[in-house]
Amino acid sequence: MNWFRKQLAKELWSPYTAGVLLGVVGVLAVWLSDSLLGASGAFENLAGLIGKAVAPQVFNNMYFNFIMPAGITWGVVLLVGIFLGGMVGALLSGTFKLRFNDDAQWKATFGPQAWKRWVIAFFGAIVLEYGAGIAGGCTSGLAISGGMLLAPAAFIFIGAMFASGIVTTLLVYRKNY
Amino acid sequence: MLNYTLALFLGIAFGFSLNKAGLTRYHKIVNVFRFTDLAVLKFMMTALVVSMTGLYTLRGLGLITFPNIPATYVAGNLVGGLIFGVGMALTGF
Repeated sequence: MNWFRKQLAKELWSPYTAGVLLGVVGVLAVWLSDSLLGASGAFENLAGLIGKAVAPQVFNNMYFNFIMPAGITWGVVLLVGIFLGGMVGALLSGTFKLRFNDDAQWKATFGPQAWKRWVIAFFGAIVLEYGAGIAGGCTSGLAISGGMLLAPAAFIFIGAMFASGIVTTLLVYRKNY
Repeated sequence: MLNYTLALFLGIAFGFSLNKAGLTRYHKIVNVFRFTDLAVLKFMMTALVVSMTGLYTLRGLGLITFPNIPATYVAGNLVGGLIFGVGMALTGF
């Protein structure tokens, strides 16, 4: 029991151990809920919900009615859980803290200003979510959940994601790559 | 309701694993693209191998049927992935 508690309080696990946990979660999601672990789709469900309240005409289209139906879906609840789970992890290891920008590597690359981090994160996240929308999923919903069912889409996506990720980092870091 | 409760707990375990793997940090995500820290790949591939094995075993035993498999449309998956990678490398999410 002591050992177990010590593991929970550790800040970082070996990525292999954490990966096994996620793998088990992936199996349980299919087994118990007949669902895949998607995170990006939930944002679209929520966006649809807000959009339908604000501008019902604009959001009354095929995408938000059938492909990514607006509403509190299974995925939205999962997303809330992900947020809480990350918080639980940080609380248990005592690293929980409200941060605006304290990643040392970010500061060394872009400068110490917090607003820069927020602006780039905001627009970068739009790009990210847009890409996920076109591809039909994100790292969790398509790459991992699709990959575990051996969907070819997942492996095309993983390849493309790494290719453009590497090029983008190359451009951002240049000499320091 | 049961299904939503399950979603909440699965989400908590998911978020917890991400936190413990360190993937909630900018430098962990970006450094996989710089090949200086491969935690993201190790984490993703381990999860893939474990869940593949589990799911195909359970299906072989006749305990589960697979849900809708994400659709393959090469151009969409490819272009979407390329755009997604840019966002991922910039934000570190």
